[in-house]
Amino acid sequence: MKVSLNWIKDFTAVDLSNEELIGRLSSQLGAVEGVEYLGNKYRDILIVRVVECTKHEDADKLNVCKIDDGGKVQDIERDDNGLIQVVCGAPNVRAEMLAVWIPPKATVPSSFDKEPFVLESRELRGKVSNGMLASPKELAFSESHEGLLDVDMRVQPGSSFSDVYKLDDCIIELENKMFTHRPDCFGILGIAREISGIQDQVFESPDWYHEVPNIPLPKNENLKINVDNQIQDLVPRFVAVSIENVNIMPSPTMVQSYLMRVGIRPINNIVDATNYMMILTGQPMHAYDYDKVKALCESDESTTLVIRKANKDEKLSLLSGKEIQLKHSDIVIATDTQAIGLAGIMGGSSTEVDENTKNIILECATFDMYKIRRSSMEHGIFSDAVTRFTKGQSPRQNMAITARAIKLMEDISGGIQSSSVVDDSHTNKDMVSITFNPDFVNQRLGTSLTKEDMSRILNNVEFIVDANSDELSVTPPFWRTDIEIKEDLVEEIGRLFGYFKLKRELPTRKISPAVKNIQLEINSSLRKSLSSAGANEMISSTFVHGDLLSKAKQDSKMCLQIANALSPDLQYYRLSLTPSLLDVVYSNIRSNQGVTEDNEFAIFEIGKSHNSLDLDDEKLPVEYRTMSFLFAADNKTAKRKYDGAAYYQSKKYLSHTIKENNLEVRLVPLGTMTEKIQDNTRLSQMIAPYEVNRSAAVLSLENNEVLGIVGEFKQSVIKTFKLPNFSAGFEIDLNLFNNKQNISKYVPLPKFPKINQDICLRVDYSMNYSTLFEFIWDELSQNKPKDTFFNLNLVDIFQKENDEGHKQITLRLIISAYDRTLTTDLVSDLLNQVANKANESLGAERV
Amino acid sequence: MDYKYSQIQEVASKLKDPELLKTKGRAILRSPELNGLFSHLKEMDANNRAEFGKEINNLKTELTEILDNMENESIQLDPIDVTAPIDKNVASDKHPRLLNSSHGSKHPLMTELDNILDIFYRMGFTALESRQVDDDFHMFESLNFPEDHPARDDYDTFMTTTGLIAPAHTSTMQNRVLVDGKKLLDEGSPIASVLPGRVFRNEDVDARHGHTFYQVEGIYVDKGINTGHLISTFKTFLEEYYSQEMELILQPFYFPFTEPSFEFVLSCPFCQKNGCNVCSYSGWIELGGCGMIHPNVLKMAGIDSDIYTGFAWGFGVDRLVMMKHGIEDIRHFMAGKLEFLRQFS
Repeated sequence: MKVSLNWIKDFTAVDLSNEELIGRLSSQLGAVEGVEYLGNKYRDILIVRVVECTKHEDADKLNVCKIDDGGKVQDIERDDNGLIQVVCGAPNVRAEMLAVWIPPKATVPSSFDKEPFVLESRELRGKVSNGMLASPKELAFSESHEGLLDVDMRVQPGSSFSDVYKLDDCIIELENKMFTHRPDCFGILGIAREISGIQDQVFESPDWYHEVPNIPLPKNENLKINVDNQIQDLVPRFVAVSIENVNIMPSPTMVQSYLMRVGIRPINNIVDATNYMMILTGQPMHAYDYDKVKALCESDESTTLVIRKANKDEKLSLLSGKEIQLKHSDIVIATDTQAIGLAGIMGGSSTEVDENTKNIILECATFDMYKIRRSSMEHGIFSDAVTRFTKGQSPRQNMAITARAIKLMEDISGGIQSSSVVDDSHTNKDMVSITFNPDFVNQRLGTSLTKEDMSRILNNVEFIVDANSDELSVTPPFWRTDIEIKEDLVEEIGRLFGYFKLKRELPTRKISPAVKNIQLEINSSLRKSLSSAGANEMISSTFVHGDLLSKAKQDSKMCLQIANALSPDLQYYRLSLTPSLLDVVYSNIRSNQGVTEDNEFAIFEIGKSHNSLDLDDEKLPVEYRTMSFLFAADNKTAKRKYDGAAYYQSKKYLSHTIKENNLEVRLVPLGTMTEKIQDNTRLSQMIAPYEVNRSAAVLSLENNEVLGIVGEFKQSVIKTFKLPNFSAGFEIDLNLFNNKQNISKYVPLPKFPKINQDICLRVDYSMNYSTLFEFIWDELSQNKPKDTFFNLNLVDIFQKENDEGHKQITLRLIISAYDRTLTTDLVSDLLNQVANKANESLGAERV
Repeated sequence: MDYKYSQIQEVASKLKDPELLKTKGRAILRSPELNGLFSHLKEMDANNRAEFGKEINNLKTELTEILDNMENESIQLDPIDVTAPIDKNVASDKHPRLLNSSHGSKHPLMTELDNILDIFYRMGFTALESRQVDDDFHMFESLNFPEDHPARDDYDTFMTTTGLIAPAHTSTMQNRVLVDGKKLLDEGSPIASVLPGRVFRNEDVDARHGHTFYQVEGIYVDKGINTGHLISTFKTFLEEYYSQEMELILQPFYFPFTEPSFEFVLSCPFCQKNGCNVCSYSGWIELGGCGMIHPNVLKMAGIDSDIYTGFAWGFGVDRLVMMKHGIEDIRHFMAGKLEFLRQFS
């Protein structure tokens, strides 16, 4: 909101420099978004008297004027009488008038902020024009360009235009958001009061601003009006009065100047008067053309404004020219035949005040802020009135404002009050006083203010304070709608005292250590272990396009669906993280082409996934914590560096991650788990992009629960995502890591030499490696000589060319004893024994 | 896909039958039904001819895609032994192996969150990650936002079709932390928690605005906590974070869930208030909001607001990271581009 400092000064003294004031405003009222010094714009512009005005010989529409600038401007061509020649095309230029003159070398104000246009002396059809006489548009007052700005004050020629119309002003733009609960601060009066309070000065509202003002009596009752408020709970106050014989014309230039400075475009004296009152007090007003309203009333008895909810199928043409279909939730002002305004938002065009208007009805009403907000949002109409009405104006100021507006109307339009002021009021509650102990405030601010300090601070901004006991009893002034509890007064006192003066101390607490969040710690450690293994962490959107899901073979019906996304890329909550990773592979492979020799990468993301079916204790969708990983290498790189399936590369990373966290898991072919997974929404969607033949389910060692998947992707997924063939990934539940062991397993180091011996076994091709390995491991554990320690490593898996039904697995035993040197024979015997067992139980043949 | 011309739509419905596609395979692309469509061209009004022809081609493309997909669907590579650490017949120099650690990187936002958490841990705060889907109660109601309150306008929230909300601020966790923390207060300990997490705003995306960003919320409740504590705590954090002394200004603001409410503005750590690119030559940076927790919010969590007071704050992490590294476009964070990611350690 724009605030004019000159306007403020009409109500309070400002002792601070502009810079100090702006600093104090931002720390004691709210953020200052901008400051503009209007004076610069109007410097050098003068009010002059047109002494002579004669038709230009060579141009029909131009006049040649001689102007009197009081001799103010130096270095300019003057005639013998000291007058300056200006050529002017305005129809209303005439001798003896006062006009605004932009001298040569001055900038035209309307161009000031854009491309400054600097005037000079130049010839117009053979006559020299020194600068120009200016219209409201050129002076950035309004859009009006039909004639010269009307100088309606009696001033000496040569007076500074800026001085006369208070244009040497500082315009401060305050952020609106902080006034969400301060409707009074949407008015100059409210801001002036705050500035007074910030300076520790007593503020006095003007005489006319009273809850129970002197209500003027009508001069006559020629234009009787009635109000029929059918929704009193939504419209707690509706004040209306009629005024006859208004003379529609531009407002006095001073009024225009006030409005223009705060960014309101002057229109005509009636509309300007309602806007002026709104800017001054924060209370929007509306003027109807009385005769148009009357013509729309069916009943002849009187002109009645009906306040009601909109009917079904009702339409309304607004002042903006837009026609809207009303909704039942809208509040409308109507006659007995039709709606004539959307309450609190915008008037209707059928009763618009125009240049032919003779009589008007003035409205000063209070509407339910929530209803106004809803209607405004539903119709997408955001007016200055809406901004104010949605903050909840006090209904207690309507009479004062109406009374003041009646006087203003008379002053600037000649119209006189011709009905009594109709006051339909349903707000009888008194302002509630709040009682508190000064300690309450001091404890919350960390201050040691006395009762008297607090009393003064609040008094300055017109709170009524009773400080006769130990406690303070405070009654907010009638325009404040935001003071309900003691804490509201803590804010008021703290702010006006100045938060910057508060003592700055850290809270004290016991030295017990704060417990770290295990889940966040897990994320950190996974991040560390994977990035140290050359993988890159990425993050991607929680929301995905339906196409991504279907490309990854997932079912969007399982998703939480976003109802109001601006972009179709954000339709659904993702069911797992893998699709997001699949989505970036192609672009990365492509952009990396030719950049480095190896076009390969490992990416991972730690995040959450959701579905619409699984609910937690709070009956909200479960937030599954999950990590997804993907490895991809383009064909050339894959061929050069790796042999065999990409699966093993992804598994390598999984094993690394698991081992880094001192955990163990079991991998089983995915095919053996499909039944178990089928009914699990989360897992079935997680595995959807993976190829069942070339993927493993990751099982918990403790309870065989499926925790995730590692594998290659379906051919169709590879095609649609344009993945290189050498691509594989995994996705796992991070709860797996909740039991992570912080202590690595240690085996005491043997002092005696180790013996290495290989054993090669030929087994059925279909036999799982793990079956054989675990069998051998168990046998070794059971049969190893006492006090020995061994390890078993894979050396090779080999399939002979003409033996496709079998594979040969070579394992290496490394064994040593703690108390002696083992002999080779002993180890050979052990392996023989194990090999025999393997033959008996698994049909393995020693090679 | 729907077709404008009924003749084409008819053929499309017929040919797109999955059973038919399975039995006929690619022969469908040469079927009399499809080829027959071209005969309509002659009868066509000249104006529509091109469009009609285009639609036939579209149908052909659609059918080809469906067939391609079906073929891909049916391709299954040979099973592998997923329990083995390596494939068969692989020479030892081509065994799977981890990439060189110098390629690796952590996401800069995550690194920063870790840094921030580390400071708060040291200051005695616990941490809890914020939810990514929540209900109206936690997002608004428990935070003293009445229904239809205009303050809700400041949050362009994503809603699900079932009426849930993608939280627009980490404050959505406040009520939970306060309810859980009541027992701490009873034991004579403060509630001191930070709540990092992803939040969402349904607004147009550009270089400075994403629909998703990260926030860190903080809450401190105890007996005798005042506004001076709030300022001091946050200043202490910022000075530790930037390893330098800083000025902190509180600007009065309005949030329904704090009273009084502020925006905090800090002196620019990159130019010591001299004005630079980062602070748009103002010397100051607006970082987030804070305030004393509104008594209604405490009451809603069953905490007696006459005995206990507290403060809360929230600030965005993305902006901190962008300022720190000079990142020019917020969209880089979620783009998954290695060129971006690999620039960070």
